[in-house]
Amino acid sequence: MTERRLVLTVNGLAASLADVPAGERLLDTLRWRLGLKGTKEGCRTGGCGACTVLVDGESSLSCLTLTHEVDGCAVTTIEAIASDPVGRSVRDAFEREGALQCGYCTPGFVVALTGLLKERGRSAPLEELLDGLQGNLCRCTGYVAIARAVRAAREATA
Amino acid sequence: MSAAKRPDAAVKLAGGAVYGTDLEAPGMLWGALVLAPVAHGRLRSVDLAGARALDGAVAVGPDDLASLLPGGGGDPERPIFPRAEISYRSQPVAAVAAPTLETARRAARAVRVDAEPLGVVADLEALFPEWPGSEAERSPDIAAHVHARHGGVEAAFRDAETVVRETYRTASIHQVALEPHACLAEVRDGVWRVWTTTQSPFGVREDTASLLGVPEASVVVEGTWVGGGFGGKGASLLEPYALVLARAAGRPVRLALGYREEFLLGRTTLPAVVRMETGVTAGRIVARRVRLLLDVGTSLPGRDFATGYSIGFLLGPYRTPAFEVEGYAVRTNKPPFGPHRAPFAPQCVFVVESHLAHVALELGLDPEEFRAAHLWKEGDPTPLGQPVGPCGLAAAFEAARALARRWRAEAAPGQGVGIGAGFWSTGTGAGGEALARLDGRGLTILQGEREIGSGSVLVGLRAVAAHASGLSPARIQIEYADSSRAPFDSGVFGSRTTAALGRAVEEAVRGLLTRLAERMGTVGPVTLEEAGDGLVAVHRSERRSVEELLTPEERAAGGLEASGRHYGRAGSIDERRVVAGTFYPYTDFTGSVHVALVSVDRETGSVRVDRYAAFQDVGRLVDEGSARAQVEGAVAMGLGTALTEEAIWSEDGRLENPGLLDYRIPTLGEIPPLEITFLEGFRGAGPDGAKGLGEPPIIPVPAAVAAAVRAASGAHLTELPLSAERVARALKLL
Repeated sequence: MTERRLVLTVNGLAASLADVPAGERLLDTLRWRLGLKGTKEGCRTGGCGACTVLVDGESSLSCLTLTHEVDGCAVTTIEAIASDPVGRSVRDAFEREGALQCGYCTPGFVVALTGLLKERGRSAPLEELLDGLQGNLCRCTGYVAIARAVRAAREATA
Repeated sequence: MSAAKRPDAAVKLAGGAVYGTDLEAPGMLWGALVLAPVAHGRLRSVDLAGARALDGAVAVGPDDLASLLPGGGGDPERPIFPRAEISYRSQPVAAVAAPTLETARRAARAVRVDAEPLGVVADLEALFPEWPGSEAERSPDIAAHVHARHGGVEAAFRDAETVVRETYRTASIHQVALEPHACLAEVRDGVWRVWTTTQSPFGVREDTASLLGVPEASVVVEGTWVGGGFGGKGASLLEPYALVLARAAGRPVRLALGYREEFLLGRTTLPAVVRMETGVTAGRIVARRVRLLLDVGTSLPGRDFATGYSIGFLLGPYRTPAFEVEGYAVRTNKPPFGPHRAPFAPQCVFVVESHLAHVALELGLDPEEFRAAHLWKEGDPTPLGQPVGPCGLAAAFEAARALARRWRAEAAPGQGVGIGAGFWSTGTGAGGEALARLDGRGLTILQGEREIGSGSVLVGLRAVAAHASGLSPARIQIEYADSSRAPFDSGVFGSRTTAALGRAVEEAVRGLLTRLAERMGTVGPVTLEEAGDGLVAVHRSERRSVEELLTPEERAAGGLEASGRHYGRAGSIDERRVVAGTFYPYTDFTGSVHVALVSVDRETGSVRVDRYAAFQDVGRLVDEGSARAQVEGAVAMGLGTALTEEAIWSEDGRLENPGLLDYRIPTLGEIPPLEITFLEGFRGAGPDGAKGLGEPPIIPVPAAVAAAVRAASGAHLTELPLSAERVARALKLL
């Protein structure tokens, strides 16, 4: 057993973690060690996108990410997404456009879109953004209001 | 159109909403279920020793219930663990709990289940190759039999010029709420308390008490935020197991399903086979016969609702002088049938619409003209003899035909346009109650449901209270309490929340206004208005501060209170037409007509929906943003039913695709541009004529898509979903 401490920057704060088993998923670390339950557990097989977080600014499925893999990385979750100006624009667009119902997929969508907008920048074509959200499932909205929010968030950050 | 902000948007967007899956308590144990290894078998033993040997683990099996439950083991008809016979694969046979989820899973794997496999019944048609006959009522494989007839159907068929017969098949589908079932239980001082993600806290209370054999008053259910329901969270599922574990452990226990388990043991729609027979003379329907075999899994005899309710939809909203309908709920080795947004109606409407269009085409008639000519008018009798009430169906159908003509004129080669028409009725459930409390600054509605996402509680009930009081929704709070403190309500299902619980809210608000009127010395109508931070009661030119109209006692107690109750009643059917079983009357008649424009790939058979329109009868539009959101979501969900969704059960009762990578629901890129038109003025059973809206807009989707596929390609499909493979076979590409 080679237990070592992991140090992650989570939402801007250093989290020092001991005794993290090699197989522990980032999703569980966030939810059950750090109490950040805004990141949702859906299918745990990478099929729904509800657990999306940013790792060093890039959108990642926390259910398929081992916590040991992200030692030393910066993780951003829904709880802190609005401290980023792009994240705030995305959140406001979802609120304004009514792009949520039960809200369970919402953190994943907001984080994933924030990651896409930050990565692709202000010139990202709308189609590319929508395409980048194909891995996020929503069962309530039929995606109509979400697509509207994507358009609004893109305009707000352009 | 600018959508109204939802009152729950901020907490959900901040990641602060606590769902069932987020529940946690100090000192809690993590639970896990032990699932049956065979679909049918004689249970020889359940050995828990291996599980109990693990550090801190607790295990309960069939033999422990007598000592854990005060009544000696719960409902003998529905034991939470089977005693002698396993009746579906993944049926819980034991439950374990441990200080970590990892240990709990290890404990579940350490339980030894010894079962002797028995023959498995999984395929409806293999069970009844010749269809059930007169022996059906005595067959243990039939959970329910419904039969109705009217108008001398044999003679009518004998005299018909043409008779068209077809057989249709529909698939098993899953609700796929993104949040799996999850709860937290604690048993202390004789109180069985459970926090859970549910569409019906009172339903869970009743069901859990009955399953555990404890008094209802000793069970307290507290709802959480709900990550989608769609019918899957209407009854108890995990709560009894979590409570039994908590009782055994003497500590709180959290029990949640993984998504694979969600598919394996969630209650959902199972396969069906329908035979349709239609007699026509001179372009008019003279006789119809419908026979349904509906797989209800291990539903208990007499507990099947789906067969009797859906059978009405299989005749469709069309005048039929002579008919016979017969439905059989067939028991198989699968989990019990459960409701799925408008249970089984989209499938029924796909069958009726596809069949009647086929009849018309066989006779060289226009399929839309043929259906329009038979469509119900207000006052027409339903097949069971209930007069049809105000319904926007015919108006919606006309509007849809006009749009379809335009789309056809614009369609490219390879595209096709189709129409699907269906109806629904606002559910009543057992009924509901609400309490309204008025203070000098605002109005609070206390009620027993949590918001499941549709907005029917937080937006709908608020809009109803606003409409009844005169206040803006911003001055109205919706308050929730657990089942020991909240007024009773039967649940968020059946499109009933805004419409039926809303009637209780409306009555409570009116009760307040009546009390204010008395204090103002009038019997005339009083409404509320906002005046700065405060409220005034207004009667004609008289305006009085609400604060001043309250007594000091009321001010000290938080306000003036009035309660409302609504135990809705449906109309009645002509019982002389019923031969056997239970048929259900309707409370109102909600029409939904959809138009789809699709392209069919002539090489792969895959279907793309290019444009879509929904004409929705709403009675009265309570909140436009929420109404649109319901239609948008229902159309997308219906497109899944139409095109891709199919839970595949093997002959030995195994679910072959229990996961979101193999069971495909629509994604963002698959949703066509959608035009929505609401029809108002056809009054329904809800507040001031509103109609329930959660389910109606999903109903016509598979029918509209199938009609469009036929128009685009000539492929006539008699099975759902219209997968690329099925379309390719119909086009003889495979």
